[in-house]
Amino acid sequence: MTRDSVLKDLRDKFCEDILDFFDKSPKRVYIEIKPVALVAAATYIFRDLGARFHIASGIDARTHLEILYHFSIETMNLLISLRVKLDKSNPSVDSLANVIKGANWIEREINELLGIDFPGHPDLRRLLLADEWPEGVYPLRRDYQEWDKQAVRDRGV
Amino acid sequence: MSVTLKALLKSPWVFHLATGSCNNCDIEILDCLTPRFDIERFGMKLAGSIRHADVLLVTGSCNRKSMVRVKNIYEEQVPKPCVVVAVGECSMSRGMFVHSYNCPRPLDKYIPVDVYIPGCPPKPEAIIAGVVKLIGKLKGTL
Repeated sequence: MTRDSVLKDLRDKFCEDILDFFDKSPKRVYIEIKPVALVAAATYIFRDLGARFHIASGIDARTHLEILYHFSIETMNLLISLRVKLDKSNPSVDSLANVIKGANWIEREINELLGIDFPGHPDLRRLLLADEWPEGVYPLRRDYQEWDKQAVRDRGV
Repeated sequence: MSVTLKALLKSPWVFHLATGSCNNCDIEILDCLTPRFDIERFGMKLAGSIRHADVLLVTGSCNRKSMVRVKNIYEEQVPKPCVVVAVGECSMSRGMFVHSYNCPRPLDKYIPVDVYIPGCPPKPEAIIAGVVKLIGKLKGTL
């Protein structure tokens, strides 16, 4: 299996689901995929190509929320990042935690920090935020407002 | 000077508590203990448990989760009298985390602080100077 054959297989297999294919460098590929096909694509990359799942990273962009799922295939020194763009009004994408165990905690973290829902997640509890943190307030959203009236935001000098 | 204060100053045992710091202050504190600076000259030792300690030394940016533990330690576990030393910029004003959603208040809004040692991280000399001032203040000579 070479890099080119792997990428060609991916493109052929998910040709209608891939929205954008960005071949950034010999080591790095970004694939934007429809949210409905995410689980199938991630399962294919993880199980059939034998990739390692590193981490997922979420961001609140100006027009949408997006998650990047980073996979690497070490034998060919290749990093594949699957990108899903989600609607801001109802951000939701199927959970990978049933396929990839390592995705469990990062999905919990993205859920509490960015407010993205993961249907099918086995245990979507709060992971990092404090107990007194109110429900429905997501600190990494662009429209986050300070809710704690006792917070002191100057240095006192 | 009371007997307890005299006993405390003879050899203050220090409990080092990191509340989410980047570990730079912790490394400098470790430097103070090693032979080059050797803070044991003043009788200071790191204690393994807060229940053995006279000084509570706090580093780090005081986040929501760790401050619950710090309050618990200070109010319920420390043998009194106890002095609190804040080391580093984070525990004083939260440094670069001042606008962070997770660091709402500085340390001295939670528990009373006796000595502030600023710096990011403070040099071992600064930590020793702060400690010497603390001992002087408690003895009433400063």
